[in-house]
Amino acid sequence: MARWWNRLQSVVYTRLHWINELYARAAGREVGEIPLPPLATVRSPLPEARLAVVTTAGVHLRTQEPFDMADGEGDATLRVLPTDAAPADLTITHDYYDHRAADRDINCVYPVERLRELVSRGELGSLAPRHVGMMGHLYGTQWERLNREGARRIAALFRDDAVDVALAVPG
Amino acid sequence: MGLVARAIEEVGIPTVTLSVVRTMTESLPAPRNVLVRFRLGQVFGEPGHVAQQRTILRAALAAFGSAAEAGAVIELPYRWKKEVYEES
Repeated sequence: MARWWNRLQSVVYTRLHWINELYARAAGREVGEIPLPPLATVRSPLPEARLAVVTTAGVHLRTQEPFDMADGEGDATLRVLPTDAAPADLTITHDYYDHRAADRDINCVYPVERLRELVSRGELGSLAPRHVGMMGHLYGTQWERLNREGARRIAALFRDDAVDVALAVPG
Repeated sequence: MGLVARAIEEVGIPTVTLSVVRTMTESLPAPRNVLVRFRLGQVFGEPGHVAQQRTILRAALAAFGSAAEAGAVIELPYRWKKEVYEES
C-alpha cells in the first residue's frame, strides 16, 4: 500500500477514535494464547528506582535506520535509544498513526524530558542508560518475530541494565 | 505492547503500560494497564503542555504502587482539553 494512503488513513482514525476500537477488536481476534505472568514485585520505591522506557511509537535516532514502511505487516526490529539523546536527535518513522504532534514535541509519546525532570526533583531514582524504540502495528510474520525474539530481547536488555521498573508507551 | 510488557515482567521487572485504545488493552492486557482517554500519538497530551504531560506521567507511575492484580486496567479521569492542569 502506498505510504501516502496509510498516512492519510492515520490522520482520519486518529481523529475518529471509534475506528481504533473497531480495528483493535478485529486485530485482537488474531492474538493467540500468550500467558499473562503474575505481577513482579516492585522492589524499589520510585525515588530509588531505575526506569527504562519502551515505546511503540516508531521513535529512533535520526542516525539509525528508519523502520521499514514498505512491509504492510510492519517492522519488528528494535532501536536502542541512549538515555541522553536530545529530542532534536530523535525522529519518528511510523505511518499508522498521526504523529504530527509528537514531531513537534517528542514527549507526547516518549516522555524523556518529563522523566528527567522527575529525576532532578527526586521523585524518580534514575533513568536506565538505554531505552527501546519499536513500532506497533505488527502483524503476521512481524508479530511472530516480536513474539519469538524481540520481546525477550527487550526484557534481556533491561535486565542487563539492572532496570527496576519499565514504562511501556504506545504511539 | 501487552506482549512486550509481559516478557519484561517475566524476567522480574515490573511494568506499567499506557494505552489510548481500550479494546486493544482488553484483547491483550499487559500486567499493569493505564488507560488514557487521549488521542493516538498523544498519550501524554498536547505538545509543549508540560503540566499536562507531567500529570499523566505521574499518574502512570503511581500504578506501580496501586495495581493490585495482573491484567487490571486503571482508567485515568483526565479529559482532553476540559481540564485544568496545575503546574507543579
